[in-house]
Amino acid sequence: MIAHLRIWADRLIGLSANLGALGLIVEVGVILVDVIGRSFGAPLYGSQDLISMSMVILVFGAMALCDRQRGHIAVDLFEPRFPAALNRAIDICAALLGAVVFAFIAYAIIDSAKLSVMLNLSTNLLRLPKAWFQWGLAGFSIITALGMTLRAVEFCLPGGDSPSTKETAP
Amino acid sequence: MSAEALGFTGIVALLILLVLRVPVAFAMFLVGFLGIWALNGWNGAMGLLSSETFTLASSSELVVVPLFILMGNVASTTGMSRQLYNAAYAVIGHIRGGLASATLLGCGGFAALSGSSVASALTMGKVSLSEMDRYGYDPRLSTGVVAAGGTLGILIPPSTGFVIFAILTEQSIGRLFLAGVFPGLLLLAIFVITVSIICWFRPEAGPPGLRRSLSEKLTALTGALPILLVIASTIGGIYGGLFSPVEAAGVGAAFVIIYGIVTRSLSLPAFWQAARASVVTTATVMLILIAAHMVNPFLALSHVPTYVGEALIALDIPVLGTLVLMLLVYLVLGCFLEGFAMLVLTLPIFFPVVLQMGIDPIWFGVLVVLTLEMGLISPPVGINVFIVKSVAPKVALADIFRGVLPFWLAMLVTLGILIAFPQISLLLPNTMFN
Repeated sequence: MIAHLRIWADRLIGLSANLGALGLIVEVGVILVDVIGRSFGAPLYGSQDLISMSMVILVFGAMALCDRQRGHIAVDLFEPRFPAALNRAIDICAALLGAVVFAFIAYAIIDSAKLSVMLNLSTNLLRLPKAWFQWGLAGFSIITALGMTLRAVEFCLPGGDSPSTKETAP
Repeated sequence: MSAEALGFTGIVALLILLVLRVPVAFAMFLVGFLGIWALNGWNGAMGLLSSETFTLASSSELVVVPLFILMGNVASTTGMSRQLYNAAYAVIGHIRGGLASATLLGCGGFAALSGSSVASALTMGKVSLSEMDRYGYDPRLSTGVVAAGGTLGILIPPSTGFVIFAILTEQSIGRLFLAGVFPGLLLLAIFVITVSIICWFRPEAGPPGLRRSLSEKLTALTGALPILLVIASTIGGIYGGLFSPVEAAGVGAAFVIIYGIVTRSLSLPAFWQAARASVVTTATVMLILIAAHMVNPFLALSHVPTYVGEALIALDIPVLGTLVLMLLVYLVLGCFLEGFAMLVLTLPIFFPVVLQMGIDPIWFGVLVVLTLEMGLISPPVGINVFIVKSVAPKVALADIFRGVLPFWLAMLVTLGILIAFPQISLLLPNTMFN
């Protein structure tokens, strides 16, 4: 059951990170076209909007993979001095705390997106609805929260992931 | 409980969570959110969480972070770093300690392509350590040089350290980039002098390499031309007022990608891998930054920075003494905390004091980033040392730390010079922005 869930979670995390990478490539392209266009007196209209909104996808798209690869910065100076049981407990609590943080972010952003829909908020030039990107951010946050919850469950299981285990990127 | 007491309780709780190995971002979110909830109510905390998250995630200024990281990752994948090293090696490799100095020059060059110290140490370590080993270099010198040289990545622009400092303190990224140029070059020169001094006293530590013919030198230098072109167009573009930092980062990233495609040194899977690695690094940085924007208002609401500022002023020590005191705190914290985390944790407290005392914020930024660099090679955490250890598994960690020591002292000397002569940091930004 857990192994099956892990496969699907990794696929979802991989897809989310690919969208993030795509966002980065879009940014490079938009800036290049804008700079070249500007030198010919025709800058790309709305480039600022595209850059800002693709940044949202880029940052939150990669969050789940960042956690999967243990990319979050932690002070692990005392890890070897802690008993194994404490390290395991810390790993479970940290994963759960992370899941709660991302669930809160998703909840707060969904609330904000509802407001954006109500007020018809959009980007300055291209008039892209702000809510689209807020829904996207909330979706990526939910994926991250679910990934972290799954990791906490894996830690709890006998023979589950240990602090020293390095995970492979999906 | 008073607001101040709540603020200090929050700081203690944060430190306990960090010691317990809770990721920095999550610990900051927890403390910041609970603190604002206590001081400003649930709606205030939730409102701040949603507004700060979306505002920072869609910040067009912060776009430089993923773009410069991508530029460094692609440059590393396409072998641009090796060409830089080869060029420096061809010119000065034949003198005593020349390979070590060539490594430092390569690190300096790569630092102008990448904003990351870890990337610089890893890339140049892979390229240069085997070569220095082949010529019988003392492993302490060779590994020390790579670990120390890597730190140039966050001082020589583009630097993620400066970008984060600028965002947290609302300073100009362009000014900070300019301010890092001379200090970066000064540090590079002092590193090279350090190598010469080591080899003067212990000639066996850095025997000379093969002398290259003129044509070999020219070939190696020609190989480094594309990199120099990228550096000139991006960094030069910012200084010349041609590009904003964001545009320079985008154009630079596009240049290295195009270079990789044209020279066939960048396959599609390798490019995709570099892009994914870049967004993951960005996510790490951005999450801490968003979390820092939860902690900062909490500290401001609890009046902790004001309290610290008043306490420092009450000590009645001169401004320079206060500055040195703050830098000492950074040096000590650098032994235990990751540099970026240290920046976001301390700036909300220190920066208002810096402004209150009339210390130039740009100068302060340069000094802080240099002390962060020192933390990268300070025991016991010293991330660059661990990076070098991963590339040179046969060299004992204690030997790498011993090898790094002369360079750490060289950085201390540089810090002293930069404190004594603020003009070194401020000349370029003041000249070009005024």
